[in-house]
Amino acid sequence: MPATSGPLTPGLASFLKTLRTNPIDTSIDNLISLLKRRQIRHSRSCATATAYLLRGVISASRTNDANKLIERVQNVGRRLMAAQPREMVVGNIVRRVLGLIRDEAEDDREGDFNLSEAGSESQPQTPRGLDDPTDVLSARHDGSDRGASRQPLPALTAAPISMFSLLSHPDTENSLPGTPVSASPSGRLLGHAPSKDIRAEVLDGISEIIDELTQVDDQIAAYALDHIHSNEIILTHTSSTTVQKFLLKAAAKRKFTVIHAEAFPNNHEATHATVSGANPYDDELLSTESFQKPLIALGITVILIPDSAVFALMSRVNKVILGTHSVLANGGLVASAGTRVIARAAKVHQTPVVVVSGVYKLSPVYPFDFDSLIEYGDASKVISYEDGDLVDQIDVQNPLYDYVPAELIDLYITNLGGHAPSYLYRIVSDHYRKEDISV
Amino acid sequence: MTSSTPTAPSPSPAAAAAATPTTSTPSTAPTSSKPTKQQPSSQSQKPSKSATKSKDAATAATSATAAPADSATAQLTPAELKKRAKAEKAARRARERAERESSGPAGGAPSGGAATPGKKDGSGGGGGGGSAAGASGSKQVPRRGSAQNASQNGGGGSKADDKNVAVFGHLYGQQRRTTVAGAGKEVHPAVLALGLQMRDYVVCGSSARCVATLLAFKRVIEAYTTPMGTSLPRHLTTYLSHQITYLSTCRPLSISQGNAIRALKLAISSIDPSTPEAEAKAFLGEFIDSFIREKITVADQVIASSAAQKIQDGDVIVTFAGSSIVKQTLLLAHKQGKKFRVSIIDSRPLFEGKSLARTLANAGLDVQYSLVHGISHAIKAASKVFLGAHAMTSNGRLYSRVGTALVAMSAKERAGGVEVPVIVCCETVKFTDRVALDSIVVNEIADADELITAEPMQQLTGLPDPAAVTVSAADAKKGGGGGGGKSAAAAAAAAANAAAESNTLAQNVSSPLTGWKESANLQLLNIMYDVTPAEYVDMVVTEMGSLPPSAVPIVHRMSTNL
Repeated sequence: MPATSGPLTPGLASFLKTLRTNPIDTSIDNLISLLKRRQIRHSRSCATATAYLLRGVISASRTNDANKLIERVQNVGRRLMAAQPREMVVGNIVRRVLGLIRDEAEDDREGDFNLSEAGSESQPQTPRGLDDPTDVLSARHDGSDRGASRQPLPALTAAPISMFSLLSHPDTENSLPGTPVSASPSGRLLGHAPSKDIRAEVLDGISEIIDELTQVDDQIAAYALDHIHSNEIILTHTSSTTVQKFLLKAAAKRKFTVIHAEAFPNNHEATHATVSGANPYDDELLSTESFQKPLIALGITVILIPDSAVFALMSRVNKVILGTHSVLANGGLVASAGTRVIARAAKVHQTPVVVVSGVYKLSPVYPFDFDSLIEYGDASKVISYEDGDLVDQIDVQNPLYDYVPAELIDLYITNLGGHAPSYLYRIVSDHYRKEDISV
Repeated sequence: MTSSTPTAPSPSPAAAAAATPTTSTPSTAPTSSKPTKQQPSSQSQKPSKSATKSKDAATAATSATAAPADSATAQLTPAELKKRAKAEKAARRARERAERESSGPAGGAPSGGAATPGKKDGSGGGGGGGSAAGASGSKQVPRRGSAQNASQNGGGGSKADDKNVAVFGHLYGQQRRTTVAGAGKEVHPAVLALGLQMRDYVVCGSSARCVATLLAFKRVIEAYTTPMGTSLPRHLTTYLSHQITYLSTCRPLSISQGNAIRALKLAISSIDPSTPEAEAKAFLGEFIDSFIREKITVADQVIASSAAQKIQDGDVIVTFAGSSIVKQTLLLAHKQGKKFRVSIIDSRPLFEGKSLARTLANAGLDVQYSLVHGISHAIKAASKVFLGAHAMTSNGRLYSRVGTALVAMSAKERAGGVEVPVIVCCETVKFTDRVALDSIVVNEIADADELITAEPMQQLTGLPDPAAVTVSAADAKKGGGGGGGKSAAAAAAAAANAAAESNTLAQNVSSPLTGWKESANLQLLNIMYDVTPAEYVDMVVTEMGSLPPSAVPIVHRMSTNL
């Protein structure tokens, strides 16, 4: 167990810092204990940590065999997910990495097939290979849009399969001058060159996932102006960077009013800090967010209310915009406690409920046992230990999450656009492979 | 913010006497002192007038002695002296004003920011000026009112408007009174004390406030003597209305208070003017006692016993905040040997459910406690919801502590279509002929500073003064024991809470909200009540029976036509 370096408190930052220096197995243990101790909490931090760790795992594994890679990732993934089963993003990222490997492996096989076919038909692949590199490089490196996901975008559903098959060839050629390759263990005769690629391809894919994680909020925010009109009254709950960025983006162009429920007792300090723009402590979120302007600096009126006043004010609210912890395949979501009553109050008042969430929070899990999704937190936040006599006598409950059924949600906005809750299963099937749903 | 000591500096002896029971209660929120207008002027003018009079006499004497030979001046005395005195007076007034203006800001200046000048500073500055100018006579009785007004205008002004949530603009009106200073001289000490207790939530809850008001008015009536030339039924009503006005500046009157006052006024006006005063007063004392007994004490017992019948073995009762009548019901059911569990949902900033939880746990009930964020979890296991009421409106809606509507709504949304019955316990004295559709038109705004969080870590260094807490607890016991409404424990806990909160409020610098008044566009909203739609309420248990919410207007008519 490595000591996390000096002044840093254990968290995402310290983990990423030690990831380079520590051997990979130590890092795995490190992340597992961080997850277990809840020192990495937010969905995005967990996702980022997982993605970086898996990149480390892949690059450290010496094998080029897809099956071995899958096995290795599955192994690590299972341990991570067991460490913190309620952080579903961990599982999501593991599944996506597994999906990447499988995709690459299939492309290889396809490539083999193509090559052998090509060989038999004696049609050289070179012409295709030659005009590919530019496409591939631009597609790979132009960053944000394409980098959103390696998985087929809904708009591009036709493209990806052929794209992937295209991708493998230039790298094949690039890797040729590299180390001489041995025959692959799978016994594919012609597959030796592509199989060398798998690791590099997967690493690239993981880098794209990491890119996606850093850009997802901005991508979601780009849709803000489509959803917020002038003079609206918008209600939101707890402090979510995604929601804040979304509102900030709209605030640059339009004037509206935000009613902010404070999410006492689990997240009220962060909410107050978000609202007032004062950041008293270093959150474990990436540091860029702490320099973000608060909404009030852009001339947006922000009204902070206690959670209990939500029903009283709902009749004035035009739209409820919520962040979430994770989204489930049936369109329901697991969000911070108190979200459910807010969504319900909105439904009662016929107010639309919009959930903003990155696709990485979308989990292929169907919730059959809702209670297992709910985590309970520190009771001393509800009744402090000054009232120790009372704490001894009564059962104090502090749920951290609420399960919000899909029928209370009107719209999801992800980095891919807006979706109805009933459409989410389709995005799930775009992003995760069937065989990975139970890792 | 160290200046906000728990004692309220009050110059007038009556005020001091009245304030003593409440001195332990938290002192003011920074900028909320707003005395009425008539009092400061009368207070300050009287001494200055007497001072000028004595000075006039002195100058007259000196002039008389200095120039006895000059008979011309002596001859002019009647008209001339008066004129000169007037001129002198005017000059002195002007000088005084100038002095005060210069000393006022000087007194306020050391406190720095706009948030800090509390009454201590104001009175300190005024007092300083008084003692400095003491040589030239006692004219400088500290005009706390004006000094405060000045500091307030300097600090807040248009900014205060900016901090008001626009939708609730009609509810802001004037801020709650923070001191007894500036209260009319007719206001009885008991009422003065009660006003402050209500403001600080020491006396909190609709029935408790109603009972406390009636008891205070009973003392007012006992101490009342009819002035010459009027009769008791004619004059007492106007006399009482001074008390009522004072109370409503401390905290807006509850529906139950309004109903009780209306009944009392009706009783007063029904007295034959020829009745001897002692007899009339005895009648009114009797009336108040029977009103409390019939409408609240006995009514509570009837409600508790009929609501307790609704509780069965194995029930899980969900309740919100701390209703005295729900507490009575649960305790009674427990005494009857029923086995059930209670789940209390509580809310910021008052945490009224905490004292309820303590009382129930001490009585041996199985209690579960969570805050508003845990509603959907608490309601999952629930078999019944019991709610208290602040009022029932004539369109059958429940007007109660903010958050009640969320609980009632959650009870009606349980998955699988199984609804949890929502039962409201409410005395008919809380029925009103007003109607409400939303929680915005009718509501009460509390001080937004109450929302600034108390950080438990810092409380370790600044625990509330135990002496203060016990004093307020004892005080609350007095209030609670008298009425049957809210129990002493509840009030004591509320007092302790308030004390603790003010304590941390004073030193809690690290809270990101401490400077919220300075940051533009940021508003805090702390409303007290919300309106629960009638369709969420299955039953209203009153002393006249268990009714559907639609029966409220009928019962209200019946009970007011008695």
